[in-house]
Amino acid sequence: MAAAGSVKAALQVAEVLESIVSKCVGPGGQQVLCTKSTGEVLLSRDGGRLLQALHVEHPIARLVVECVSSHLKKTGDGAKTFIIMLCHLLRELDAPTDQKKDCLAAGNTQAHGQHWKNCCQWKCISRALVTFQAQILDSFMDQCLSRHFLSIFSSSTKEKILCRSSIELLLDAYFSGRVGKNNHTFISQLMCDYLFKCMACNDGIEDFFEMVDIYFVELNVGVAGFPVSDSRIVAGLVLHRDFSVYCPADGDIRTVTVSGTIPPPFSTSGSEFVLHSEAQFQASQFWIMEKTKTIMKYLQSQNVKLLLSSVKQPDLVIYYAELNGISVVEYLSSEEISLIQRITGLSPDVPPQSYSQHEIFNIALVRFCKPLILKSKRYVHLGLISTCLFIPHCLVLCGPVQGLVEQHENALHGAFKMLRQLFKDHDLSYMAQSGHPNSTSSPLIDKSKESDPLPEVGNNSMRRPCEGTVVKDKDGLKSVQTHLIAHSNWEMPSIELETASPCPTPKMTPRTTYQTDNTMKHLSQDNTRIIDYHEPLMESKLTANSTTENPKIEMSPKNVQVTRNTGKGSILPVSFKSRESYYYSSSLSAGCVLPVGGNFEILFHYYLLNYAKKCQQSEETAVSMILANALLGVPKILYKYKKGSYSFPQIYVRTLYALQTNRPIVSTQTGLESVAGKYQLLSSVLQCLTKILTIDLVINIKRQPQIVYDEDSEDEL
Amino acid sequence: MALNGAEVDDFSWEPPTEAETKVLQARRERQDRISRLMGDYLLRGYRMLGETCSECGTILLQDKQRKVYCVACQELDSDVDKDNPALNAQAALSQAREHQLASASEPPSGSRSAPQPPVPRPEHCEGAAAGLKAAQGPAPPAAVPANADALACTQTALLQKLGWASVELSSSNSLETSIQLCSLIRACTEALQSLWRLQH
Repeated sequence: MAAAGSVKAALQVAEVLESIVSKCVGPGGQQVLCTKSTGEVLLSRDGGRLLQALHVEHPIARLVVECVSSHLKKTGDGAKTFIIMLCHLLRELDAPTDQKKDCLAAGNTQAHGQHWKNCCQWKCISRALVTFQAQILDSFMDQCLSRHFLSIFSSSTKEKILCRSSIELLLDAYFSGRVGKNNHTFISQLMCDYLFKCMACNDGIEDFFEMVDIYFVELNVGVAGFPVSDSRIVAGLVLHRDFSVYCPADGDIRTVTVSGTIPPPFSTSGSEFVLHSEAQFQASQFWIMEKTKTIMKYLQSQNVKLLLSSVKQPDLVIYYAELNGISVVEYLSSEEISLIQRITGLSPDVPPQSYSQHEIFNIALVRFCKPLILKSKRYVHLGLISTCLFIPHCLVLCGPVQGLVEQHENALHGAFKMLRQLFKDHDLSYMAQSGHPNSTSSPLIDKSKESDPLPEVGNNSMRRPCEGTVVKDKDGLKSVQTHLIAHSNWEMPSIELETASPCPTPKMTPRTTYQTDNTMKHLSQDNTRIIDYHEPLMESKLTANSTTENPKIEMSPKNVQVTRNTGKGSILPVSFKSRESYYYSSSLSAGCVLPVGGNFEILFHYYLLNYAKKCQQSEETAVSMILANALLGVPKILYKYKKGSYSFPQIYVRTLYALQTNRPIVSTQTGLESVAGKYQLLSSVLQCLTKILTIDLVINIKRQPQIVYDEDSEDEL
Repeated sequence: MALNGAEVDDFSWEPPTEAETKVLQARRERQDRISRLMGDYLLRGYRMLGETCSECGTILLQDKQRKVYCVACQELDSDVDKDNPALNAQAALSQAREHQLASASEPPSGSRSAPQPPVPRPEHCEGAAAGLKAAQGPAPPAAVPANADALACTQTALLQKLGWASVELSSSNSLETSIQLCSLIRACTEALQSLWRLQH
């Protein structure tokens, strides 16, 4: 049966999900008790877990839950906010058509035609949303909000040093919305300790977080049956296996990892092994035994004391290992092996059969290896010597029941994902109108993600304010020219502020003082990269890389004069006679944060409203208004139960007033949140919305359609 | 919204009248209630199906015994019947009272056309129903056919209440109760007036 009217259905679904999720959002949210379809009971505040535990068959609901899951896989944060934003957006979209439905309700004769008319309407809206997202949304981040950002790095020196107190604030805010009230302080402290123990140095933070995120499962051990406060950090790596053979050894232990069985197999794949008699069989077995013995003896001669194997070794190997005093651990997962190899810098495995002929190159040194007993389960505890920037430590997470341990594990994993996104530079690209169509020096850039054959301008390319060569006509632009000069409007009391910027900077004084011995630096603004091209390159890049079908940009090559970039950051003079719109490329630097409490949403809302007032095109105005109103849904729910001067209307009015009059914005809450995460959330929500809007019909099928392989398909190229 | 370009409706769009706003509000509240109930059921392990109810268009739920359940029809409407003034005398009374309060707070506006949108009548919501009749006289809901039996029933009930209220008034000692009883009597009389007007 086909169902139509996707927006109404989607709104119903979204409202139902919102009613569930709004109970547990924010620090004031409560645990939600959910009975899963299997009969188990789940008590959680984690949005992602709750959504997945619900038993939904409705196709739009499943689509939404899938979008949320894939968003969480990438960013680790924002499931509840996702649903709230989506619901408000759908409400905004549905609202204007309510009156229409009233008028149309009387005449049902044109229902069918009206349905398709509606579908076209939604398609137009969804196209408008896509255009807005691709071309304009980034400009708000770059030009408007960037002046409000704070940085999580402390910069008493030129290097970026992680500031422990800021990380604590960030993690506190993260966990207070996710883990139960009694545990969240402990968990955030645990994670902070873990971070600062594992990080060798401040370079390569991105790689560090990437590694921890990928190998998180191997880096933590969950133990049920103990109180949460028993969780701790152990140095080294804990393998989720026990020793098959344990021979204690002192000092540094030489270790070999193998991925295949040590005795050679009877036959390799693709070959046949033919036996004609019992004697032959016995001879071959004897040969194998001798070979094994030789290999193990060779290992002993090389003073290898530990063998880590990803497969089960035959008993013969175990026997000889014991004879020769070699400890063996079997059945290790490939991820654990690859983690060990990555930490110790081992090369990939050489087949063990070749050991006696060649030198073993992949020997690692291990400081200690001993069994570790955690509540009657035995593990192997290795003290690896790290050659990379990750000092291996393991988290032992305890909890009274397995479910709580899993929840904490998920929360920690999500936190690492969130930090990984936070410490990455994110590219922004958008289109903006230039006020001077005939200006001689307008930059034209492309998305910097594309492979760039030309020498890439470094991050600080704008160090020299480029004599007015950057032409944009929004006000926030001066900050680009003087981007090195840090200014922001959330000033902490103990901060040293570098020189003031041309525009007066609103400042913020937090309600409570942060206990910082480190200072929070105001963020130096994004780095607008100007990439110049040779003529043909520019043309082809333009046509190939425009993200939307935008007919506005027409370049006439003869008007373009390009000079090659000297690589230092000078601006190319590029002249455009033809058109008004230009693509800009910028980036959101790593480490941008904002105070919690809906500040991102309110700021974005304010700038969207301003844009809507200035904008001439009705589509863009409409989309900005919808987005602006929907964004307010999040702080409304966060402040729902607060009263007096902490209630939402008060906070809203105060913030807006401060923005309009360039005064300090007072934040009522401590805690920080990652800007990159918020921005990615907004993009994900818009993408999910456009997916929903383009649904015309939902058709139920009983089974998956079969894939038919057409013989003629090659001809239909 | 000008996003759909050539829609003729856009050019004739006007801001909603107060009555329509109240209708919209009532609808939204009803929707909120439905969502909340559905959310609770989902948390209890019910399954959200991909089908909608044929009567009210709400998404259907299925419990563990595989029984299909519509929240709006089976839960909301059952406690809404008692609010329907055509079926329940109490509801008629409370509606009249609300109208009375509404007309006391709002200045009587100019001519409001009598016909209300016939189909989506949120009689279930008391507040909306009162708002709808804000500018009109205390007339019973226009869409309800003037059923003689129902009117007689209402009339009897009103007279009963009037009698009861007068008895209570004579025996009451508290100021507050007296004031309330007086307003009840006034409401009853006005309701009776409108009923008689309708009958004739």
